[in-house]
This record gives sequence, C-alpha cells and structure tokens, in this order.
Amino acid sequence: MEYVDPLTGFRVDGRRPNEMRKLKGEVGVVARADGSALFEMGNTRVIAAVYGPREVQNKGQQVNSKEALVRCEYRMAEFSTGDRRRKPKGDRRSTEISLVIRQTMEASILTHLMPRSQIDIFVQVLQADGGTRSACINAATLALADAGIPMRDIVTSCSAGYLCSTPLLDLNYLEDSAGGADVTVGILAKMDKVTLLQMDAKLAMDTFENVMGLAIEGCKAIATYIREVLLENTKRLECQRG
Amino acid sequence: MAATAMDQDGGGGDVVTPGELLGNSLTLVAGRGAYADGRSVRASVTGHRRIVPPAPGSDDQRSTVEVVGHKAHGAVPQPGSVVIARVTKVMPRMANADIMCVDSKAIKEKFTGLIRQQDVRATEIDKVDMYQSYRPGDIVRAVVLSLGDARAYYLSTAKNELGVVSAQSIAGGTLVPVSWTEMQCDLTGQIEQRKVAKVE
Repeated sequence: MEYVDPLTGFRVDGRRPNEMRKLKGEVGVVARADGSALFEMGNTRVIAAVYGPREVQNKGQQVNSKEALVRCEYRMAEFSTGDRRRKPKGDRRSTEISLVIRQTMEASILTHLMPRSQIDIFVQVLQADGGTRSACINAATLALADAGIPMRDIVTSCSAGYLCSTPLLDLNYLEDSAGGADVTVGILAKMDKVTLLQMDAKLAMDTFENVMGLAIEGCKAIATYIREVLLENTKRLECQRG
Repeated sequence: MAATAMDQDGGGGDVVTPGELLGNSLTLVAGRGAYADGRSVRASVTGHRRIVPPAPGSDDQRSTVEVVGHKAHGAVPQPGSVVIARVTKVMPRMANADIMCVDSKAIKEKFTGLIRQQDVRATEIDKVDMYQSYRPGDIVRAVVLSLGDARAYYLSTAKNELGVVSAQSIAGGTLVPVSWTEMQCDLTGQIEQRKVAKVE
C-alpha cells in the first residue's frame, strides 16, 4: 500500500509528511481530581486525572521516603478501538505503557520537594488512532500542571515513523500498523533534554537521526500548544476571580 | 491582590509555565514555584511570576523570584511546624491524633500524628499519665518533632503554649481552662485533667 502519494506527496489522511494532526487540550475536565486534562491528537483522545500529592496509601510501595512516589495507570476503554479489535495481548501492553508514562513524568516532577507523599496519574484512552502513548504523556503533563505539581519542565511526546522512504510525523493507526519504524520521543521542551525514546523495527543510523529530529520538532510544537492552553486557563481563572 | 496588581503593570506577560526561564542564578534566587538548574532559574508551576527584593541587611543581595500558582498546595507538616490535631486514641504510652491544620493552614489530606508519653510536657516526663493529659476528641496544638515512623508524625506538646486548646467534657459541655493541668466543664462545673495550652 502507498502511504505517501508519489505524485502529491500527501499521506493517506491528506496530511503532509511533516504535518501533525490537529491538537486539542482542555484542562479541568474531572472535577473530583486535583488536576485533569483532555488531550486530542486528531482522532486519538485521552483523558488524564492527577491526584496528589497525598499521603502514601500503601507504605510497602514507598521506596525512598525523601521523594514523592509517582504512580501511573494507563487504561484503554473497551470502545476506544472500534471494530479494529486488537489481538488479546493480555495486560502486557497497558503495564508497559503505564511504566513508560510513569518514568517519563517522574523525570520531570520535582519529587524531592514532596517527601513521603504520592502522586497518582490515571490516563484513560477514549479513542485510539495511533500515538496513544504520546497523547497520554501530553495529557498527563497538562493534568500535572493543572494540579500545580512542581515540574522541571513540560514534558511532551510525539511519534514519527519512516514509510515509503519518507519520515512521517505523528503516525495514525493505519501508518502505525504498516510495519515501518515507529519512533516515540519525549522531551523536556525548554531544556532540550530527551526523557523518552522508544523505537520498534530497525532504521539506518542517518535515517533514524532524521526521524528523531522530526519527532523532536513535533514535541516542541506540542509544548508551545500546551503552554498556550495553560496560559489561557490561568487567564480564564483570573477573570473568574475578578 | 498582589498577583493581580503585578499582572496589570506587567500587561499579562507575567504568567509563566513550567520550565520557562526566569533569569540567571547570579542575580536571582529561586523561591517557591521556581528552581535553579545550574546557572538558570526556571519556573516549576504555572502561575504569576513575582520578584521579591532581598531583605535589607542580608548578605545575599539577590532578589527572590516566586511563581504563584492558582492552586494552593495542600500544606504538609514539616519538623518544627505548629499543627492543630484532633486526638483519636489514647493509649498508656502514647496518643494518636489526626492533624487538621499546619501553621494555621487547613490541610486537604489526612495525616496522623503520634504524641508519645515523654513528649507531653517538659517537666517530670516520666510521671505523665496519658489518660490525665488527653481524651479522644480533644483539639491539641502541638509541634512536629520529626517525620516519625512510616505511619505517623511525632508530635510534642512540651511547651507552655502547646497542649489542649479545645475540648468537650464528659457531660458534653465546653471545657474552660482553669490551670495548666485542669479544665472545668461549663455545664456541671466538674474538673477534668488535661495538658492545657496557654493560649495567648
């Protein structure tokens, strides 16, 4: 199948190779949580809720009492994939993504400021169309910022792939399942530090650098958008306060 | 409101997001909501940037930069902070209490505290009778000694101004302090034993 039209250079969903899907971020969608956010990348839609910092509930999990314990739970709604039902892989995939999100967020949260407490991050995929991992990290960042949890920087994530000898930004489900390489990058936007880098399949060294560079550009664009959402929200809150 | 005033003269450009550069650590000190990363001072929460000039006469002539977010952080007990706690259980050698306020700020989560027998008062600490000092339901002002064990903070009331500040008698009336060890019921006039705080 042709993922990039050889004549026009457009992808199957009409995007250019270096074009991202439409982003949408909304803060404060779960009233009960300390911080929450909804994040959309095209048809991928995830919701994140943050509780904490609160006292550690299960003392057995506390490894270091001088730092906050970060927990993360990733779940996919039954209805999120529609008819493209994924093969029953057990809970392996969810566990892995939970771990990835946790590690990524932990790298950014100033855990040493909140000793003996825990922060719970719940992410739920409402609609899956590729790039759920990235969308979840972006949603979690927004929710953490909404909860007012001190962070080193905003972590954003974006994926990029390589199909038909073209680096493609922000793969959708169709492109994701094409079997090409899929590079997911998470960065601390202002500090230019990589906190997450995953790739399935193989790529030549120089192509990989191009693809990763493209993903980093995507991350930066998302960071700019997330900052806009946060500033917008802060201004809105201020207007309400009067 | 200070933050709003800042916003007006800053033209709204004073709202910052985590990771944003606030300045150089040679000229600025990171306050609340900010942190130093090597030479650069960055924001760690979303909110208004505020610059506090250095205290007159201090050695450090750098200004402090703070970021005030819209969500107040729930206060967390620190060693040395004065807390208000409600006694939940009294045992021969210790009393359990739920911390409600830290330094006059109400807390959102529940923290448990523990007052050991030797921390009830400053003198004759070996002769303390826990049942003559606290009753379940008493509101106690105490100071946090240490982070304690995994379950509770260690609290101490071994100072004049620390101890029971509000309590109910067995009859259900309000107890009025009579001396530093006694309180009297306002309904029945019955005297009850407590470690009473000297409230200013």
